[in-house]
Amino acid sequence: MISVKPKALADSPNKMDLENLSPEQIALDIKGLNLFYGDKQALQNITMSIPKGQVTAFIGPSGCGKSTLLRCINRMNDLVDICKITGEINLHGENIYDRHIDVAELRRKVGMVFQRPNPFPKSIYENVVYGLRIMGEKNRRALDEAVETALKSAALWNEVKDRLHESALGLSGGQQQRLVIARAIAIKPEVLLLDEPTSALDPISTLVIEELINDLKKQFTVVIVTHNMQQAARVSDQTAFMYMGDLIEYSDTNTLFTMPNKKKTEDYITGRYG
Amino acid sequence: MTIALNSSGTRRLKNSLAKWLITLGGISVLFTLVLIFMYLLYVIKPIFNSAKVEPNVSFVIDKRAENSSDTLSAGLDELQELAYQINKEGIVDFYQLKATSEHAVGYKVLSKNLLAENNQLDMIIESGVYLKLLIDNQNNIQLITPQFKATYTDDTRTIIPSIGYPLGNENLIIDQQNKTIKKLAFAMTEEQAMFIAFTDDNRLIKTTFIAEDDFNYDPAYETNYQEIDFVHNIVDDILITPDLTLAFIRSGNIISIFELDDEDNVSLKAEISSVTELTTMALLSGGSSILLGDNAGTVSQWFEVAGKNGRQFKQIRTFTTKNNEAVSRIVTEQFRKSFYTMTLSGVVDVFYTTSEAHLWQGKISDGQPNAMVISPRADGLLLINENKLELFSVENEHPEVTLSALWQEVWYEGYPEPDFIWQSTSGSDDFEGKFSLVPISFGTIKAALYAMLFAVPIALSAAIYTAYFMTPGLRKKVKPTIELMEALPTVILGFLAGLWLAPLIEDFLPAVFLLVIFLPCSTLITAFAWHNLPKHIKNHVPETLAPMILIPVLLLAGYAAFSLSPVAELHLFGGDMRQYITNELGISFDQRNALVVGIAMGFAVIPTIFTMTEDAIFSVPRHLTSGSLALGATQWQTLIKVVLLTASPGIFSAVMMGLGRAVGETMIVLMATGNTPILDWSIFQGMRTLAANIAVEMPESEVGSSHYRILFLAAFVLFVFTFVFNTLAEFVRQRLREKYSSL
Repeated sequence: MISVKPKALADSPNKMDLENLSPEQIALDIKGLNLFYGDKQALQNITMSIPKGQVTAFIGPSGCGKSTLLRCINRMNDLVDICKITGEINLHGENIYDRHIDVAELRRKVGMVFQRPNPFPKSIYENVVYGLRIMGEKNRRALDEAVETALKSAALWNEVKDRLHESALGLSGGQQQRLVIARAIAIKPEVLLLDEPTSALDPISTLVIEELINDLKKQFTVVIVTHNMQQAARVSDQTAFMYMGDLIEYSDTNTLFTMPNKKKTEDYITGRYG
Repeated sequence: MTIALNSSGTRRLKNSLAKWLITLGGISVLFTLVLIFMYLLYVIKPIFNSAKVEPNVSFVIDKRAENSSDTLSAGLDELQELAYQINKEGIVDFYQLKATSEHAVGYKVLSKNLLAENNQLDMIIESGVYLKLLIDNQNNIQLITPQFKATYTDDTRTIIPSIGYPLGNENLIIDQQNKTIKKLAFAMTEEQAMFIAFTDDNRLIKTTFIAEDDFNYDPAYETNYQEIDFVHNIVDDILITPDLTLAFIRSGNIISIFELDDEDNVSLKAEISSVTELTTMALLSGGSSILLGDNAGTVSQWFEVAGKNGRQFKQIRTFTTKNNEAVSRIVTEQFRKSFYTMTLSGVVDVFYTTSEAHLWQGKISDGQPNAMVISPRADGLLLINENKLELFSVENEHPEVTLSALWQEVWYEGYPEPDFIWQSTSGSDDFEGKFSLVPISFGTIKAALYAMLFAVPIALSAAIYTAYFMTPGLRKKVKPTIELMEALPTVILGFLAGLWLAPLIEDFLPAVFLLVIFLPCSTLITAFAWHNLPKHIKNHVPETLAPMILIPVLLLAGYAAFSLSPVAELHLFGGDMRQYITNELGISFDQRNALVVGIAMGFAVIPTIFTMTEDAIFSVPRHLTSGSLALGATQWQTLIKVVLLTASPGIFSAVMMGLGRAVGETMIVLMATGNTPILDWSIFQGMRTLAANIAVEMPESEVGSSHYRILFLAAFVLFVFTFVFNTLAEFVRQRLREKYSSL
C-alpha cells in the first residue's frame, strides 16, 4: 500500500496516524489474517491496527467479510467447523489464536453484540449479571452494583430500574439491544464488538444506540460493523472499507468519506454498488 | 381497466370447501372424544346408583279358615312368576304373580295340605331359600322344598310348582327323646344334614344325618345324635353356617360359637357378648359373618380375624338404621353381602356390608309382616301381612361399589385388617369380588415411574448430545434411527421382556447392577482418554466417526459386567443373588418385576422423549447460544444456563408425553409385569396396571356386571390419567410457544 499522508490530517484534531500507532495506542493488531470456509477464502491477508478508546467501523457490501473479520476478533468463528484461520490477531501483544489462549477468557475481554437483540429468557437483572455469574461472582451487592452501572452505561437504567426482575423478553427491540449491550459491558471487556447492532431496530432506537456508542468509547474500544454508511460516518472515528474479503481502505472516518484514496471506496460511498 | 375485487368462482368454492372440510374434521375429532367419554360414563354410571324398592304387585290372599291362618313362611321362584305361602294349617298355596292369557294376578295355581288331618304347624325353620323344616303340634318333623319346573307349550313358558321331600316322606327324628323343640336351626350339604335344636327340657342337641350316597339322588341316611354342653338356659336364636362348621347360639346378649367339625365332640369355640340389647341375629351370605341387630336400631357385623391369639371373632363394622328403633329382623341375600333390616314400625333399610353402603330406607309395612322374603335373584322383596301379599321390585345391581370401596381400604371377610385389594374373580361360588382401584392405579404409576427412571436420563442425555454436540452429518442419521424405534410393536418388546429379559435378569442380577456402574464409567474413561490423545492421531479419525469409538468400549463393558456377574454372585451374595435378596434382605423377588418393566417400557418411551427433547434443544435459537458464548461462557455453561433453560418447557412436555405413553402402555406391562395387583414400591416386585388389567379381564367379565362396569371405570381413570398428562404437556408447549415467539 502506498503511504500518502492524508491531506485532511490537519482538519480533524483527534486524527491518528493509523500506520504508525504506538503500542500503547493499539487495542488490536491484526496481521496477515486469512480465513477459509472450506475451500473458499473469505478474508485475504488482512493487516490493520485498531486504536484504543476509539470507534472503528467496518463497512462494505454484503458478503465482503466485514462480519467475519469482526467474529475473528473474539473467535466466534471457532464454532463453525469448516472454518480455518491463519495469521495473527494480537491483544496486548498476545496472539489470540495461540494454543494456550482460553477462548472463554478471551471472550470476556472482547465482548460482542449481535445483529438481532438476543436477551436470554430470564429477568432483566439475570441477563445483566449473566457474565458475572459465569465468572463465579456470588456477592449480591457486587452484582447489584454491576447491574446499575451497566444499565446506566447502556442508558437503560431509567427505563427498567423498577422492573429489573421482570422478563427481558417484555422489552422493546431497542431496549433489548441496549440490555444486550449492558450485559456485554457488565463484565468490563476491553473491546466491544458490535455486529450491525441497529439493523433490526427502528430509527429512534437506532439514534439512541448511536448516542450510546459515542458514550461507550470513553470506556471501551468499540468495533462496529454496519452496512449503513451514514451510521459509520456518524459514530466512528476510523473506518475500514472491505470488498470481497480484502481490506481496501482503512483511514479516519472523515478522510474516508470525504477524500477516499481508492476508486472502489469512492464508488461504494457514492452508491455505485453495495 | 377495472380491478376485479371479487375472487373467481372456483377459487371461492375451493376456499369454502377447504374451510368446511377442516371444520368438519376438527369437530368430528372433538365429537368422537366426547362420545367416548359419554359412553364410558354411561356404562359406569349405574354402579353409583343407590337401590330402589318400588311396589310391584299386591293382592289379597285366600283365608281358608275363619279362625285365622297366619302365614308362617313364604317364598318366590327365581323369575318372580309364582309366590307361595305356608300357613299355620300346613297348607301351601302357590299364586300367580304375572298375568297370563288365562289367569289374572293372584290366581291360585296350586294348593296342598302338607300335614296329617287336624294337625297344625308349630313352626317353620328355613335354611337357604328353598329348604323348609316343618314342625307340627304332634312333633312331626318333615323337610320340604318348594320346586318350580318350567315347561314350554306353544312357545309359552309355564312354571309348574310342586313340593319336594329332600330327606324323604318319613317323619324325621331330630330328638331321640322326642321332646318338643323350642328352637332349631339346620343346614344341609350333599353329604350331611345337620340340626342343632334346643328342647323344652333345656337340652342343646346336635343331630346329623349322614347321607349313604348323596342327598341329591338318594334320601337314605344314617343318623348321629349328640348332646352339647351348654351353660345358658335360654336360646333365642340358632344359626349354622352352610358348610356345617360353626353354630352360633344366641342367649340374650351372649353368642356362643360352637365348632361342629368334630363328629364326636362339639366344642365351644368362643363366646362374644354385646354391650347393647340384642334382638336378632343373621348369617351373611357365605356364612363367614354374623349380623347382630339390637334394640337401638344398630346392626353389627362380626367375623373371624387372624390375630396374635389365632383366629378370633371381632366386630368389624356397624350399620345404623337411623330411626333408632329396635331391629326386629334381618334378612340376608343369598349370594351377595347385602342385607335388609326391618325395625319394629315396619321401616326397611337396605345395606351392603363390605362397601358399608346404606342403599335404601323406606316404610313399606305397618307393623310386623308375617313373612318377609328376598327373591332368589335379590331383585324382589315379598311381604305377607295378614291376608295381603305385596311384591316389591328391587333395583340393586351394584351395591358393592361405592367411591369409598373403590378408593379406600376395605375390611373384607377373613382378612386381618382393612386393605386395598383387587381380586375380581375366583374359583369359588360364594366369592366376593374385591374391587379396589388403588392397587392397579398404583401399579400404573409404579410401572410408569420405573420406566421414566430408566428412559428419562438416557433419552435426555442422548437428545442433548444429538442436538447440541453431534456433527450435523451424524445427527441426520442418528435422529431418524431413534425415531424409528418408536415404530417397534410393543408386543414384541413385551414378549422379549417377559420371556427373554426377565429370566436373563434373574440369572444375571449382579450384572444389571454392574452395568449401571460400568457403562457410565467406561464412557467417561473413554472420553477422558480421547481428550488427551495427541492431536495428530485424533485428526486421522473423521469427526463423524469419533463417537463410534464408544461402541466397542460399551460392548466390552457389557461383556465384562456379564462375565463378572457369577464371580460377584459367588463372593458377595453367597452364590445366588436372588436367594440372597429373598433370604438375607427379606425382599421378595418376582421374576417379572419393576426392573424388567422399567427397562422394557423405558425402551418404548425413549424415542418419544428423545425426539421431542431433541427438537426442543435444537430449536433453541443460535443467537442465544452465541450470546452466551460471547459473554465468556463455556459450551457446557451455555448448555446448562441458556440452552436447557430455554428448552425446558419443551423438555418438560417431552417428559410428560413420555409419561402419558408409559401410563397408557398395555402390551409391555401385560407381558412383563406378572400382573400381580400389589401395593409395593419394590423394584423386585411386579405390579398390575390399569391398561393391562382391562386387557386381561375384559374378555372374561359378564356384560353389565359390576366387574364389567368397574373395568369401564378403570378405563375411564386411565383415560383421565393420559388425558391429564397429555393436556399438561400440550398446555406447557403452548405456553412455550407464546413465551419464546419473540426470540
